[in-house]
This record gives sequence, C-alpha cells and structure tokens, in this order.
Amino acid sequence: MAEVGHRRNGAQNALFLAGATAIVLWSAGPFLWQISTSFQLDRALVSPTPSLIPHPFILQHFLNIFLVKHFQFYVLNSTIVALSTTFLCLAFGAMAAYALSRLKMRRRFGLLGLILSVSMFPQIAIVGPLYLLASILGLLDTYMVLVIIYLALGLPLVIWVLFGYFQTIPEELDEAARIDGAGPFRSLLLIIIPLSLPCLVTTGLLAFIAAWNEFMFALALTSTIAHQTVPVGIANFTNLYYVPWGDIAAASVVVTLPLVLLVLFFQRRIIEGLTQGAVKE
Amino acid sequence: MAELLPKPRPGRRAFLGGVALGSVAAFTGSHGARGASRTEIAFASAKFFGKETVAQVVEMYNASQSRVHVTYVELPPPSASTEVHQLLVQQLARQSGSPDVFTQDVIWIAEFAGAGWALPLDQEFGADVRKQYFPGVVQACTWGGKLTALPWFIDSGMLYYRTDLLGNEAVPETWDELVSLAQAAEKSGHARFGFLWQGKQAEVLVCDLVEFVGSNNGAILGPDGKTVMIDDDKSVQAVQFMRDTINRYKISPQDVLSWDEEPSRRPFTGGQAMFLRNWSYVYTIAQDPKVSSVVGKVGVAPLPHFPGGRSAACLGGYQYGVNASTKNREAAIDFVRWMSSPATQLHFATELGLAPTRPDVFDDPKLAQSQPFMQKLKPVFLGATPRPVTPKYAQVTLVLQSSVSRALADGNVKQALAGAKDRIAAIVAS
Amino acid sequence: MTRPVAIGSTLRTAAPSLAIVRGRRVDWAPLLLLLPTTISLGSVSVYPILDGFWLSLHNTTLSTREDRFVGWLNYRLLATDPDFWGAWRHTLEFTAISTLAETAIGLGMALLLVERFTGRGLVRAAMLIPWAMPTVVTSKMFGWLFDGQNGLVNWAFRSLHLIGGNIDWYGSPNTALGTIIFADVWKTTPFMALLLLAGLQTIPYSLQEAARIDGAGAWQTFWHVRLPMLVPILLIAAMFRALDAFRIFDLVYVLTGGGPADSTEVLSTLTYKTLFSALEFGYGSALSTAMFATEVLIAFCFGILIVRGMRRQGR
Repeated sequence: MAEVGHRRNGAQNALFLAGATAIVLWSAGPFLWQISTSFQLDRALVSPTPSLIPHPFILQHFLNIFLVKHFQFYVLNSTIVALSTTFLCLAFGAMAAYALSRLKMRRRFGLLGLILSVSMFPQIAIVGPLYLLASILGLLDTYMVLVIIYLALGLPLVIWVLFGYFQTIPEELDEAARIDGAGPFRSLLLIIIPLSLPCLVTTGLLAFIAAWNEFMFALALTSTIAHQTVPVGIANFTNLYYVPWGDIAAASVVVTLPLVLLVLFFQRRIIEGLTQGAVKE
Repeated sequence: MAELLPKPRPGRRAFLGGVALGSVAAFTGSHGARGASRTEIAFASAKFFGKETVAQVVEMYNASQSRVHVTYVELPPPSASTEVHQLLVQQLARQSGSPDVFTQDVIWIAEFAGAGWALPLDQEFGADVRKQYFPGVVQACTWGGKLTALPWFIDSGMLYYRTDLLGNEAVPETWDELVSLAQAAEKSGHARFGFLWQGKQAEVLVCDLVEFVGSNNGAILGPDGKTVMIDDDKSVQAVQFMRDTINRYKISPQDVLSWDEEPSRRPFTGGQAMFLRNWSYVYTIAQDPKVSSVVGKVGVAPLPHFPGGRSAACLGGYQYGVNASTKNREAAIDFVRWMSSPATQLHFATELGLAPTRPDVFDDPKLAQSQPFMQKLKPVFLGATPRPVTPKYAQVTLVLQSSVSRALADGNVKQALAGAKDRIAAIVAS
Repeated sequence: MTRPVAIGSTLRTAAPSLAIVRGRRVDWAPLLLLLPTTISLGSVSVYPILDGFWLSLHNTTLSTREDRFVGWLNYRLLATDPDFWGAWRHTLEFTAISTLAETAIGLGMALLLVERFTGRGLVRAAMLIPWAMPTVVTSKMFGWLFDGQNGLVNWAFRSLHLIGGNIDWYGSPNTALGTIIFADVWKTTPFMALLLLAGLQTIPYSLQEAARIDGAGAWQTFWHVRLPMLVPILLIAAMFRALDAFRIFDLVYVLTGGGPADSTEVLSTLTYKTLFSALEFGYGSALSTAMFATEVLIAFCFGILIVRGMRRQGR
C-alpha cells in the first residue's frame, strides 16, 4: 500500500498517539461509565465520589433485562427491522444513485433535491398521518411498516452519498462494460458496486444505526413485544416514573457492544483492503 | 377496518398470560358452545405493571363471566403519556366505537368529555355509588355536572421526610416550619439539600404549582372553569415562595428548575435530602436496599400549607372511560363496573401497586398485609385536588409551564403570572 | 402527487438522449432504477406533506372539534407569535453551532483515522460508540452526566479545581442550550467523521505524494490537495447534519422540556406540544410547514454550493 510510504518522526507519532487517546476517551468514556453502571447497584449512582470499579459487582441488571423484561425479543425485532432496512436502502439507493449519476438525465439535481425533501419534513409531524395510513392499511404492529418508513427516511442520505461517490468513479470503466454489451443493471452490479464497497459499508452502517435507534415511529406504530424494537423496549422499562437506571445501562451495553464489534470486524475486512488506488486516478 | 387498534397477537397473549391464560383455556373448554356468543369489546390502556400486568387482570375478567370477552390493547407506558394521549385521541375522534373502553389520565377527562367522546355514566353509577370514592377523584371525573369517567387508581403529591433527621421534631405542617427545619438540616450538615421539588418545564411543574397555590387557598381557575385566578395575590405569593426556596431560603438547589420526578428522587433516596415532594411511587423505591440508602428512614405526610391555608395534593392517576360511540354499551359498562369494583381495586393494589380510589379498600386487611405503606396514604389522598378542570387543559398547561418556568428563572413573578392570565383567559374563553 | 409527475416528465425529456445512446428504442432503465425510490419516498412522504399543508389551512383542533377552512390565518398568527420566533431562533442557533462543531471535530477525527497507526481499528470502532448508543439512552445519560448536583462532569471539574461550585447546566437559561448542543455534538460527530473518512479514502495517495515531493508541508497538502477534493462530501454530510440538527427533538424533550423559561424551546418541541398535547392540528401543521420551509431554504443554500462544487470538479 502506498500509504506506508511516508514515515512519521517521533514527535508526529506522539501527536498521533495523543489524538487517538483523545478520541477514545471522548467517545468511549461515557460508555465505560455505562458499563460500570450496569454492574453496580443503582444506589451507587448518587454516592459523593463516583467509582468506575463496581463495588459490589452484580449481574442482577443483566439477569433482569433478559429474564424479567425479555429484552432478547426486542433485540431480535430490531435486528430484523434494521437489517432489512439496510439491505433495501443500499439496493434501492445504489440503483437510484447510479441512474442519477450515469444516465444522461437532465434535471438530475432537481430530482436530487426532491429526494432530499423527505429529510426536510419534521418527523414529529408525519407520525400522526402515517399512523392513520398504517391503520387503514392494516399495517400497524408489523415489521413491514417500520421497514417502509425507515427505508424512506434512510434513502435520501444513501442516495446523495452514493451519488457523490459514483461521480468519482471514472465513467470510462462502465462505459467499457456497456460497449461490451452489459446493460445498466449489469454494469452497476459488476463494475460500480464492487468499486464502491467501502462507501456502501459506510452508508449501510449509517442506515443500520439510524433504523436501530429510531424511537418515535416505533413507539407509535408497534404495540406488542412481537414487533417492538430496542428503543421502545428500553422506554418500556420505565413503569410510572421510576427509571431503573442499572437496567437501562445494561440494555445499552447489550445493544451497543455488538455494533462496535461489528464495526471492528467490518472495517478490518473491507475498508482497509479496498479503498486506495483503483479509484479516480 | 372494524378493528383499528392493533390486536394483541396470540403469541403475545400466550407470552403474557401465564397462569391467567391457563384459567381462560379451562374456561373456554367447559363453556365452549357459549363462548362464541360472547360480546366482544376492546379495552385500550397505557401499560402498567407490577407483579402482574393489566393484561392478566383483563383475563381474570374474561374468566369470571361468560357474557363479555375483552380484548386488551396495550398503549405505551405512562412515561410516554403524550403519545398515549395522541393515540387515544386519534381513535376516539373517528367515533368508530373502538376501543369500547379506555383508560385516561385525570387531566384528559374534561377534554374527552367536552369533545363528546366519553359516555356519561350517571345513570349506571348514581350518587350512592359515587359516595364510595374519594371526593377529589369523583370531582375530577365529573364534567359539566355529569360523571364521564369511573375511578381506577389514585396518586397524588406528598411530602417525604427523613425520620432520622427529623428526630423529635414534629412533621412540618406549614411551609415556614419546613423552611426552618430544612435550613437547620443543611446547616448541621445532615443533609446537602433541605427540600427537593420539580421545576422542569413540563407537566410536573403544574402539579407542584397546584399544590403551592392550593395550599395558600389560591387556585389557577375558578370553579366555573372560566375565571382565571393565577395572578391573584395568593398565587403570586405561592409562586414567589417556590422561587424563594431556591434564591432566598436556599433549601432547594437551582437544579430543581430542570428536574422532574426521577432527578429529584435520586438525591433523596441517596440520603442527601431532608424533604422531597413527589408521588407515591417513591416509597417503594426508598425501601429497596438495592436502590436506596435510606431504607427504614423515610416517612410520608400531607404537604405543608401557608398560614390560614390547608394542605393541597395534586391529584394524579388514571381513570376508566367508556367510548360514547361504543356499539356494546351494556358489555362496556359491565366491564368497567367490574374493573372499578372493590375486589378488583384491591387486586390492582396488591399485585400492581396501584392505589385504590375507594377509601374502604384501604381498610382491607389484605392491603395492610401486602402494601402497608399504601394504607398510610389514605389521609393524603383524601385531600387530593384536581388540576384546573377545563377541556382546554392541554393548552392551559403549556402556558402555565412556560410562564411559571420564566417566573422561577428570572424572578419577575407578578409580570409572568399576569401574562399567563391573559393567555389562559383567551384560551378558556373561546 | 407531485413526485411521480416530475419524474415522468424528466424521463420524457431524458428518453431521447438515451435513445441516441442506445440506438433504437426508448430506454426504460432510468425509470426502473428510480422506481423503488420513487415508490418508497412517495408513499411515506407525499401524503403526510400534502396532508400537513392542507391541515395548516384549517383551524382543526381535535378536542373542540373545530375544523374550518381558514386560509392563511394560521400563518398570519405564526408571523406574530413570539413563541414561534423564539423557538425558530433557538433552533437556528442550535443547528449552526452544532453543525459547525461536528464538521470541525469530525474532520479532525477523520484526518487522524485515515492515517495508518497501530490500534487504528480499535480507535475507529471506539469513535462510533456515541453514534451507536441508543438515543433514548444517551439523552437520559446526558441528564445524568451533566446533573447539576451529582453529575460526573461537575465532579470531574471540581476534582480538577476548574470550578469552585457546581454549575447548574440544565437549570439555568444561560447554560441549558449550550449543554444540549454539547450533548448533540458528542452524539453525532461520528456521523460526520465516518462520512469524511470515507471521502478521504477516495483521494488518491499519489496526489498527496506528488505534493510532498514538490515540497509542500502537511498543512499545505491538506489545504490545497485534500480539502478541495473533500469539499463535495463535506458539504453533503454537513447538509444532512444540518437538516437533522434542525429537527432536534429527543435531547431537548428529555433533558429540559424546552425550559427553563423557554430558553431551550426548539421548533420540534414546540410543534410536538402543539400537535400532540394541545391537539391543535391546524396550527401545529402550520408550525411544521414553516419548519419545512426553513429546511428547504437551508437545503437550497447547501444545494447550490454542492452543485457548484461538483461542476467545478468537471462533472
């Protein structure tokens, strides 16, 4: 890889180390506190000197969320909804972005603007109408209604980012494929997609997390544990007023850690290997 | 389209049902032939849970008789009460008759009744029945002279105090007494905070407001629901006192201005405060050694009052309503009658921790056995006062939240409340 | 149903040029490629947006069963409503500051993480934690961290002797909005960093190497080589961030409820209260349409910059 060509000196290395440490502290600090909280009694939270090491160390909160609150069902629902959303977002988004960036359509910036408009309408204002629409169509409390909505909310970003990325891929590449007789679908699938994997992973990750964390639509449109997602499940922990903080911390650890591991895995596998070189020379 | 609210899926029911579901199965087995002719009604309620869930109580009803079958529709928990409200309204406004029965926060009763969505229940529940409930609750369930809601459970604001810090002193009955006790506790270093309450710009601020103003013989709205009294001297004095707890007496931290129930509860159960204004849920938590550092050191009393006033406790809780467009009136009435009966209220109290709205149930030995604390609350609940009763409450409360928060933050109490008066008067007049 | 029509007309104008490319017949490819997106966006957005606009011309209030056509009345009321303009100002302030801060910090993170160093994978994964944590949790968590009395932030500041007494982060009108902005910056900076990182990775190393050989320092390389190539994705990411920040809701609603003294009331919380609590659907819809209009303006400004940037790169 060309990247390693430039050697850093000692001072620069120290700078990098400091920067990296700052990022980790800034990002992971509150999360470490959550992890620590999830192993502590709620009582410990108001002690005058907070302690990061749980004492006493308890597993009660984790047992609670799985055995009493059946958190695993919410996690399953969220996984199904977020994965479906991500897949469809990338598929539809790549198709649309390809059409907009390659096929000689006039007014494509107008179209891009129109696509963006979904991102501009206040979500709180569309919950009501969509609830009524979903109830008329019999879609309340289904995975499908959530996927449909999250898809629409996620598509504009995916399309815009992929559009920007596709613009950087030299047109000669797919032009050549087209001359060889490949239709737009095939050149998208065989030329563009493989070249765009890092960007697809990034936007897919953004779409996945957005769907994973969405609360307001999930709260309004699902009503049973059969389809409710993680954020609703966590909100359900609160009974009348009491916020069981240790349980909530445990739940947030349970849903955040796998995502982080996933990112770790993905970025090793894909981002490192494919990015440099081939594109935009 | 007949069933607009989502039906609980069989999976969920089986999942929740537990023992209760077993009894239903046994029941339908033996009465299978008649089961088909039962009247089907839908019941929508916010999600409450304790040892049992609302769903299980509904199944008890289904098992107890063979005429009516109730399908329970679970709405979000009351912590998301704005969503619960919106989902209910969307259903009721269509006047399709579904859900047949619903539960409502006390502050929605006038709104739903004023809109004609709640069936008047006077015929079925006459004066003799109404006498069996706390008077404040019945008052809150009455709109335009008609009973439009049937009481389910009660809650109200109350004063929590630390028995160990109070020592031989009497529980404060006036705000002055509270101030001096709180200041003494802070001075001696026994407590970081003298008195905690809730000033976040949210519904809870109005609850606290009703208590301070009410305990000075003041009111926000007159009994006619049209006269606005929030800028009367008594109200101004009460709001000034709220601010004084922070800036003058220094018994409350400035932080109460952003605190709602939980942030104010935590320092108290953490052993840092002498007095706390909060709802009944705090007691159970205060006695849980996993969460609380003050187990066995907490007492409860009615909130203090101003000289010449009387203690006021903001009424909370959820109540039953019957959809005015229901096509199954008889069945719906039968169901709410059962739900509000002494036996069911006792069950809600012992299994879900929801306090009965019938004073008699408080004297039941079974309640004393399983919820000894709840029994002590009877005198508090007897003094429970409703928030302003008007169908425009939702708009009124937003104005109150904004103006009182402003008054507390910048100290121009008179000016803020006068502004509130004008805006509220315009709202209730239209 | 404006959208399908618009796309249809675009395709009609597009078809001839495509026909030339393909030789003989009309090419359906763009239509097919755009179809799923059109259906998806159309079904979710067109109805609510039109419905919202239509409602905003009525005085619909569900609980009082008022439902009359009142024309532009709601908008005239809006123009003189101090609550609306207060919230509008807070929202713009929030959007501008948080977007700028997130772009700057995100760019810094991306520039660091694009370099190769030991443990980079771990740092990249750690960087994403704030974005990955459930929003319902982070808003409550920030309530805890910045709690004026028992919060970790005050404790840490006190321990470091940076402050004498506790700061009342949410309870004072002077600090409340700033604290919420901070929480939002923490939460969403990874979004910017991730997109900018993806953008940086498309910049060929050879260009930087060439600049270095010509004697350019790190700063010059950044300023003259990397930044210009990063501008399109930077603008796209900032635009989406700004559009999202403009609709900020959860953090405000959970942390302050709009208070104290309305100092953190933003358009989303105001609209939410008007729509869901007060059930003034007519006025609430006018509020949300005004929000929409402001967002269109923001998007338009960004859009011009983005299109210009893309054109300048010769595409």
